[in-house]
Amino acid sequence: MLDPAVHAQLAAILPPAALLTTVEETRPYECDGLTMYRELPAAVAIPDNEAQVVEILQRCHAARLPVVARGAGTSLSGGAMPDKRGLLLSMAKFRRIIAVDPLARTAVVQPGVRNLAITEAAAPHGLYYAPDPSSQIACTIGGNVAENAGGVHCLKYGLTVHNVHRVRAVLMTGEVVEFGGDSLDSAGYDLLALMTGSEGLLAVITEITVKLTPRPQTAQVALAAFDDVGAAGAAVAAVIGAGIVPAGLEMMDRKATRAVEEFVHASYPLDAAAVLLVETDGTPEEVAADMAEITRVLGEAGATGIRVSKDERERLLLWSGRKAAFPAIGRITPDYYCMDGTIPRKSLAKVLRRIEELSEQYGLRCANVFHAGDGNLHPLIMYDANVADESQRAEAFGAAILELCIEVGGTITGEHGVGIEKLPQMCVQFRPLELERFLGVKAAFDAHSLLNPGKGVPTLARCAEFGKMHVHHGQLPHPELPRF
Amino acid sequence: MNANADLHLARPDARDVADLVTRLTADYGERALTSRAVRDQHSHGEGLADAGLPDVVVFPHTNEEVAAIVRLCHAARVPVIAFGVGTSLEGHVAALYGGVCIDLSQMNRVLEVNADDLDCRVQAGVLREQLNAELKGTGLFFPIDPGANATIGGMAATRASGTNAVRYGTMRENVLGLTVVTPDGRIVRTGGRARKSSAGYDLTRLFVGAEGTLGVITEIQLRLYGVPEAISAAVCQFGTLEGAVQSVILAMQHGIPVARIELLDDVQMDACIRYSKLEGFEVKPTLFFEFHGSDAGVAEQAAQMQSITAEFGGSAFEWATKPEDRTRLWKARHAAYYAAKAMFAGKEVFATDACVPISRLADCVLETKADADATGLVAPIVGHVGDGNFHLCVLFDPGDPGERARAEGLAKRISLRAIAMGGTCTGEHGVGVHKLEALQAEHGEAVDLMRTIKRALDPHNIMNPGKTVPL
Repeated sequence: MLDPAVHAQLAAILPPAALLTTVEETRPYECDGLTMYRELPAAVAIPDNEAQVVEILQRCHAARLPVVARGAGTSLSGGAMPDKRGLLLSMAKFRRIIAVDPLARTAVVQPGVRNLAITEAAAPHGLYYAPDPSSQIACTIGGNVAENAGGVHCLKYGLTVHNVHRVRAVLMTGEVVEFGGDSLDSAGYDLLALMTGSEGLLAVITEITVKLTPRPQTAQVALAAFDDVGAAGAAVAAVIGAGIVPAGLEMMDRKATRAVEEFVHASYPLDAAAVLLVETDGTPEEVAADMAEITRVLGEAGATGIRVSKDERERLLLWSGRKAAFPAIGRITPDYYCMDGTIPRKSLAKVLRRIEELSEQYGLRCANVFHAGDGNLHPLIMYDANVADESQRAEAFGAAILELCIEVGGTITGEHGVGIEKLPQMCVQFRPLELERFLGVKAAFDAHSLLNPGKGVPTLARCAEFGKMHVHHGQLPHPELPRF
Repeated sequence: MNANADLHLARPDARDVADLVTRLTADYGERALTSRAVRDQHSHGEGLADAGLPDVVVFPHTNEEVAAIVRLCHAARVPVIAFGVGTSLEGHVAALYGGVCIDLSQMNRVLEVNADDLDCRVQAGVLREQLNAELKGTGLFFPIDPGANATIGGMAATRASGTNAVRYGTMRENVLGLTVVTPDGRIVRTGGRARKSSAGYDLTRLFVGAEGTLGVITEIQLRLYGVPEAISAAVCQFGTLEGAVQSVILAMQHGIPVARIELLDDVQMDACIRYSKLEGFEVKPTLFFEFHGSDAGVAEQAAQMQSITAEFGGSAFEWATKPEDRTRLWKARHAAYYAAKAMFAGKEVFATDACVPISRLADCVLETKADADATGLVAPIVGHVGDGNFHLCVLFDPGDPGERARAEGLAKRISLRAIAMGGTCTGEHGVGVHKLEALQAEHGEAVDLMRTIKRALDPHNIMNPGKTVPL
């Protein structure tokens, strides 16, 4: 229930259709892509201009009301899950592409613009927006910035943080600020990088200038089969070690290829323990030279079969399996839980073997489909939520995988973010010292911790509850820092 | 926001400083120096000098020693200024309020090279050229090249870029993780070896470019690259500055992946020909190119580039494919600052840089050239124009206050012009003390936020006070 006084203030800012308070109206916002966690917000506000956002945040700040910003709700870590005490701020009406500048190769867009819509708008100029998270037909650019989204091609073209020039945002207090600029660099602290991947905890984004990339003249993909997962992992390191930067370097294990093959018939080899998809793009000369080198390296690394796309149709066919991997897994299991750890590439073989062991230990199947070139794993743990204790086992299995990632020097999230899902593992990956820096940054932007509270960065107290932090005589360091 | 008076650090109490110096000299012996010459040498970079000497210069060897020194400074509320080899240009290392200079040059070990993962970990005092020498034989290299043989720590702290940022990015893109000593003397690690992470805020990039105002960087995890199969360099000369700049813009808009493009205007070319004894070149606006890739790729890039430069009146390419010829060429480019300085004996020079979106590069460079000509000063232009970044070396007579004022006015107008065109007052040199005003013009409200962050992470304002984001 929204406090009536605050309700009246918000109703004065927004038309009735843009302020939702009944359960029927707010239900569609109860969760994001991580459907394990649900919560109804006190109200949903759907502003359509920056002035409204400023006023809404000022009112909420004065009333100390939590605010959770939301794009398309495709987040996989619970980042957009509402706070039951607070306001869900939907940015869905910020859908305008304000400008495309083909000479500067930039586009100025509002945060609710879909990732793929930017590429569509840039296409007439031979340009596109490079980061391509799998959900790009639906996910919004505002959400991409908040999560520092990646995708298949980020190995060569970078993450969101490498493809954003400027962000305009509203602080919780209602001040409008701009980070970054239109040129390569910008003076002072790199607040743009701080905003990118901050999961909606620092400010509400209202406008973004993104970098556009010239569409490569041509691209070619090789599908390589391996009879051993370790050999496939070693081949990934060999390709990168040979100085090639593929446009995409993806890996799927046997469970994944079999599920996919039944679904899309991409003619993947069913007997292979693992397959790699290695793509190169550029001018025809570059692609030909790179592909010759790639097939040579893959052959030396022990590939049992290599198929190189001969034309665009075949290239898309070979990719169709990878792109359909998640729905394909969805067809063979009632539920699955997608993980997102990143490890140094050279630990790939070791980590994949350990996941295999964990799969037996927890009695749950696990398919592996992932951005091997960046070492970004997406193990898909298959379970049935209707079977007693399988959900708990899936969660425990997932947590064990993440802790394994940290153990080999990796991170608990490559691109999906922490949200609420990975708060406990944050206490494993970071020491209190580092968490204190995070909390200090948060306090500088949002002193009362009203933006997306309870996500992204665990409080030290919460880590202590998880038993992941040693608290001596009940004394937490820096007692002045906010905790919730 | 409560701006406590004590945040505006005045000089610390002289007795506290004296006690601290005594303690440090006792702890570090010959690695804590107080001679006037050493303190003077540590008070400035290669730019114009600012007032203020450090009270003592300490040469730690380990993270723990740095942390111990910072803890003492923290307890006594004495400023801490990290120092690499002093190649900064905007007064970054000036000890405005005295304090302890931590010279990291003896922390100069390459800690690990992970060839399979294309990364390495180095101590802050490792020099750029030293790192590449140690990487020889691995088939890898570290591409960021600001010209000066700076320390990796200094390059991270100032978010250096350099001649091949157009292809490889700046330090922002190439630092994977850091070890930082916090203002209260604790050791934190940020980032790591994973290629991407969305866990927590991006503290790595917050410290990169913070110019030592948030902590002392002691170790850096860096991204490495495979040495390209083929490298070739070429020189192309133009009848007009505009032709040279327009060629760059068109090449960038076509997405030709040139590894380096450097612009030298006629004045700079004249200086370089004389200083570096370059033969076979005319005193004309000139572009230096370098292409990296496979044999076929390099040939293709060069052919595309040539068809563009020909359109704008560029000469035929003068090629340098042999490593020694390339080295000579880039040495001449890197010596541009010294070449400018050598043009007139007795003149001082200061370098300023700006960076604009590539589509505004011609406007900005040509307006700046006209502006420089109008001042009557000699001010050669040189720049990594592929990324929209260019420099001006302004020569002036230090004994002539009028000339100095004209030089400073010119530098200020360049900053404001770049900002007005959607660019920045500094593409790579940083803010230091010389560009504080420009930072405010560029970021407005966001500077307040930077200040709040500075206060949150360095509440006693002891880390390089008065720089970048002064409280």
